[in-house]
Order: sequence, then C-alpha cells, then structure tokens
Amino acid sequence: MQPLINHFYRGNEVGHFQQREELLAILKQRFRTYGYSQIQTTTFEPYDLYASKPVMVNTEEMIKFIDTAGKVLVLRPDATIPITQRMAVSPTQTRTNKRFFYVMDVFRHSQSDDEKERTQAGIECFATRTPAVDAEVIALAIHTLKDCGFPTFKVEIGHAGFFKALIAQSALSEKEITEIQGFIKTKNITEMTNYLQSLTIDIAIKNAIEYIPFLYGKPEAVMDEVKEYGLNSKVQAELTYLMDVYHILQAYELTDDIIFNLGLINDMNYYSNIIFQGFVDQVGKPVVMGGRYDHLGDRFGTDLPAIGFAFDVDLLLGAAQRHHLLEASNIDTTIYIYYELTQQKEALTAAFYLRDQDYAVISKPLTDLPERISESTRIIIYKPTMSMLKYKAKTYEFNHPSELLTIL
Amino acid sequence: MVALTIAVAKGRTADQTITLLKKVGITFTDLTPSSRKLVFYNSDKSIKLIFVKAVDVPTYVEKGAADIGIVGKDNILESKADIYEILDLKIGQCEFAVAGKPGQSLDSVQPLTIATKYPTVAKKHFARKGKAIDVVKLNGSVELAPLIGLSDVIVDIVETGNTLRENGLVILEKVKPISTRLIVNKASFAMKAEHIQPFIKKLKKNLEESRCNT
Repeated sequence: MQPLINHFYRGNEVGHFQQREELLAILKQRFRTYGYSQIQTTTFEPYDLYASKPVMVNTEEMIKFIDTAGKVLVLRPDATIPITQRMAVSPTQTRTNKRFFYVMDVFRHSQSDDEKERTQAGIECFATRTPAVDAEVIALAIHTLKDCGFPTFKVEIGHAGFFKALIAQSALSEKEITEIQGFIKTKNITEMTNYLQSLTIDIAIKNAIEYIPFLYGKPEAVMDEVKEYGLNSKVQAELTYLMDVYHILQAYELTDDIIFNLGLINDMNYYSNIIFQGFVDQVGKPVVMGGRYDHLGDRFGTDLPAIGFAFDVDLLLGAAQRHHLLEASNIDTTIYIYYELTQQKEALTAAFYLRDQDYAVISKPLTDLPERISESTRIIIYKPTMSMLKYKAKTYEFNHPSELLTIL
Repeated sequence: MVALTIAVAKGRTADQTITLLKKVGITFTDLTPSSRKLVFYNSDKSIKLIFVKAVDVPTYVEKGAADIGIVGKDNILESKADIYEILDLKIGQCEFAVAGKPGQSLDSVQPLTIATKYPTVAKKHFARKGKAIDVVKLNGSVELAPLIGLSDVIVDIVETGNTLRENGLVILEKVKPISTRLIVNKASFAMKAEHIQPFIKKLKKNLEESRCNT
C-alpha cells in the first residue's frame, strides 16, 4: 500500500511551532500596549457575506461547502470583514473608539497547499479619521516590526482613492481598469504605455496614469512631483492629509522608514483612504498590509470609520527565521528522572516539586534508562543508596529536591 | 556597501546583458566566454552577477535571492511571480504564437489540444477567448506534437519562424510580443532604493539614446 504522506503544515514540526508561538507572543504583547483587546470570529461564514454585490472576495478563491440545511458556507476568507460586521450589529453606544486585535487563520484556494491556510495577526481601530489616529496605527505596525528584531525595514504609504479619483474622470470599463491596475502594481510602464495608446482616453489623464508608477520615494519629493499634474481639489486634499500623517510620524521619529508610493494598490477593494504595506530585507512580499476602510460599515447599514492592518504571520515567521531573529528551538531542557521502584514515592514527589518550579519533567522507572544519553541531557537518578543529578558529564549528589534548584 | 545581486538567464540573454552593462560602464573583469563560473563581481564589487537557468530567474527575484533579474517575458508570464517589471530592454524580441499545420482551424475542434512548454500562457490566452482546451505540457521539440498527432496545435515562442517552417507548421494566431525585461524584487525596490534607482535610470537613459540613434 502506498503510504499516506502528510503534506506540509506549518505546525507539525515541534521546533518550528515553538518559534511561531514566540513570534505571536511578541505581536500580541505589542498590540496590547497600544490598548487593543483580543477577539476571535467564527471560522464558518455565510457565502453571501462575501459574494453578494459588490463582491468583496474573489468567489473562485473561497473555500465553500454546504451545511445540512443546504446553506452555502465558506471558511473565513478575510478577517476585517467579519470583525466589521460584528461591530455593525453591536449596540450603537459601543461602536466607536473600539480597538481589537486578532490572530486568526484565513482560507483561500491557491496553487500551493501551504498557502491555503494563512495566519493573520492584526488590529482594527474603529475611530473617526484623523491624522493622529492613522499615524498611531502606522507607528504600531513599525513598532511591532522593531520588536521582531528586523534591523531594517520600509513602510510604503499610499492612498486607495488616488488611482480611483484619476480613473473616475475617464470612462473606462471595469476590465480595462483591472488591466491598468495590473500594470501599475508591477510598475510595468512599457506595456502600460502601449495599452493606454489602444484606449480612447483624455491625454491629460493618460499622462497622469502613466506617471503613477514614478510617484515613489521620499514624501516631500513625491508631493512636489505630483503637484505638476493639475489634480482636482479633492485629490489634493487627500494628499495633504497624507502629509499630515507623515508629519505626525516625524514626532514618533519614524520617518526614516517611510516611503510614499502613490502606485500602491491593495487587492481588497474596501480600502478608502490611506493604505500602507511593510517590507523587510530579502522578502519579496509585504509582511504587513493595511489601511483605512471608512465605508465597509455602510455595507452593513452602519457608519463605521476604521483603520487596521494585518501581519502575514507565516511570511513574517519565514523572514524572522531567515534573519536568525528567533531562538534556536531544538535545545531539550527537559529533566528526566529515573527511579528504582522502591524510591518511586520520593522520585514522584521530586518531579512534582520541580514542575511546580516551572521545569519540564519526565519520570520513568530505572529499567527504562537508555544505554546512551546525550551529555547535555539532565538526568536525575533515584536509588535506595543515593540520589544524584547527571549533567554535562558531572554528577551531583543531593538529599532533597530543593538542593536541585541551586545545582540547575 | 551591500552588493546588488542581479540574476541573469544563462545563454544569449547573458551575453546581451553583459554588452548592455558594458555600455553603461559596468564591467566584469574575470568574465571570459569559456568560463564556467556562475558568480561574478564588477570592478568595485557593488554588483554581483549570478547566472541561473532562465525559468528560475523570476523565482530568484521573487524570493529575494536576487534583487534584480534579467529574463524573457515568456518566463515571467509562466512563473506568475509577484515582482516589479520595470524596463523593457528591447533585446531578445520575439513573440508567443499559436502554430499548427496550414489550414488548421482553431474553431473546428472542441476542446482544442495544445502542446506547449508554457501551460499558463496557453490557458490564459484561450480562457480570454472563452475556448475550452486540453494542455499537453512538453519540455522541448514542441513542433513535433501536431505532426505525430499528440496535439492539434502548439503555443510557443516564434522568433524567425525557421523552426516552424522546417517542420511544416505555420503561425495561426499571434498571442503576445515578448522581449527581455528587467525585473525587481518588491522589497529590494523599497530597501535598496538609493542603489537600484540610479542603476535603472542609467540603463533607461542608455536605452533611450540607442533608440534615437537607430
């Protein structure tokens, strides 16, 4: 018979899982220090929540199934949408100035098995838009990256409405817009120029679209360049707002890590204003993504301005391992107690005592003592004649378990 | 200074790239045509050149093993890598095409069987046209497939058309022009901006000048 081989899963290797937990502890702790409380939503959700118009998540990507009543369900494909929905149905007076964080899995069909189930660790801040709120959220994302120990990183800030506002002045079809977005996302200027030439579109707008990928770099420089493009007052006001956020980040002394990227486009179309994403060295995808989504609440019949972000935990973990930021996890710190049956009571009392002191202890009869033991393993042996601890080729005799604490 | 790593597709692309870099004043002294080394540094060690198999270039760049890649659009399309595609270097120009025996209709058979080295490109092209296809993935001598009845048509790169002609095949439909591109890792673009931006500008300027001259 062919053996059934378990496909890759991020939690099935002990050392790997410990590092993952260590990283999550860092994130959770930092989120708490900014006043966020942890929540969780259900894994099973109605398909209609995402698939009714306007479609929020690509319906092909969702993992669907049918319950016994014939209702179509999906495995949670996004974290922000269900949290917003939950807020929308909560009593009115509890809706503003709420800060939540979460560590949840999101599920999407994808080419490779290890990408079907991704863990996101993120925050949602339900608060009216002000530069101070938005800057604090970005500062938290950066603070968390620093906690993880990354020596260098960059956060790109853009605006979800910038491209939309430009496009709104033209009469392009949805398909054409998607095509152009694809070119902007990959900064593929050559093909975009050719494509734009094939469209009937106002020359001024065309030039502005073509220039979007170049609106990248130091905030002041980007703002200077963008002024040449005769933007309408609404777009101009939004860009001024970005600068306001940037000036507050200066007060946090975080501006070295900030880049403006007005060509930034997020696949989740609920973002309405400021958007951002964070990169660390050698990892080609953003480890953190977020932004303001002031109109997502409208979908649930409520006015719920909010901003949030999420770390891709699996990507972040890979990056942290690559940069050797997490402790090597294969060191066995367990204490093994072997006892002759006549000493069982003493041995088990000692085991209990050590466990109370937070040591990991495994106790077994002396007959189970293996012939070969690695030098770094800590072993306690209970015999009628004496009790002793062996560690790193040394032997220590002792009378009472409390003496062990000083030796260990 | 941290070296900029450039992954280049082995073979003709590599030769053309070295010529191009020479034009903008970047030279690799220990590079000789017969050399089998895969890693080279330029004179001031600010650029590290690595030679890899063409299909692997997008992977090297997406995973951050290289900051920049120089590779054909065909391999970028097939890999679906998440990268920036900044410059068209205007070398290695050819195109993707559907080819088959003369007179073969693309509408007569349903589903059409297609032999190709590029299943992603083939599927995408026919999905856009709303046509059902079966794909046979081959790794070489694709032109043989229609001749011995393995497939109805092929989707492949056509440069001069000589290989097609010699095997009695003709172009039935053009899919997409391709050429060698300069791709960049998204993190490197942000993290090493002060190094990458001038490099791109230099190349771009050179490309524009040479276009004016011809």
